[in-house]
Amino acid sequence: MATRTLPLSKRGFNFETTMWIFTRFTVIAMYGLILAGLIGALIMSARTGANLADILYWAFFPNLSGNPLGAYIGVTILAKLMVVAFVLVVSGHGVHGVLEILDDYFTSAFARRWSRNFIITYAIVANLIAIYVIWTS
Amino acid sequence: MGVNRNISLSAALQYKGRDPYWTYILHRIGGSALFIFFTMYILVLVGVDSVNAIFSNWLFQIFMLVFGLFHAINGLRITILDLWPNLIEHYRQAINIEWMVYALICGFAIFVVLRNAMGG
Repeated sequence: MATRTLPLSKRGFNFETTMWIFTRFTVIAMYGLILAGLIGALIMSARTGANLADILYWAFFPNLSGNPLGAYIGVTILAKLMVVAFVLVVSGHGVHGVLEILDDYFTSAFARRWSRNFIITYAIVANLIAIYVIWTS
Repeated sequence: MGVNRNISLSAALQYKGRDPYWTYILHRIGGSALFIFFTMYILVLVGVDSVNAIFSNWLFQIFMLVFGLFHAINGLRITILDLWPNLIEHYRQAINIEWMVYALICGFAIFVVLRNAMGG
């Protein structure tokens, strides 16, 4: 089978190309953050004697009472920054994915415009809530 | 402006696209499932405690694992083939490898969830 590839220079930097690159790179970013998070949680669980599951749960569901990282303030801030970055990457990737699905079902310009408005508003509100709760937990 | 495609579900299911088609469909289902998960995650963050009961339900966990893991592994395959277009010639082998990796990881994850659900 012959491959059909078009160099980036010939694709032009329109919205589709930009989002195509963004979607692929956010996949790599998510895998990187998950890997870094797991390795970091393994190191910190060994150092603090905390349960690995507790550290992961605290990182991804910040409603857990108490910080299993204890007095490691720098690590706590780094962990929160990583989770915030993960939420932003996930929502950016997800919003574009949901829009692609909705575009397949909503064919009128009106429905597409409002589905975009709705999903982007949803992403902004959800991200603001997530960042606030993660940072203040 | 998109094209209006009125295709019935039964007609869609008869499409003989085989593995690439099924991965495409499952990827979309997985993406939608993860979007629901993300919404529930936000609800947990704002303190809606009833969502925690759903998160701890083993059926929900298995549902999320089956579709979420497929989305993650299939997304990695798509990214690899997109960033290294020379590999597109081997897309069928890539899908076969994907099924094997998915079966191993998903099988292990389901085993752990079921073992926990049964108090193991």
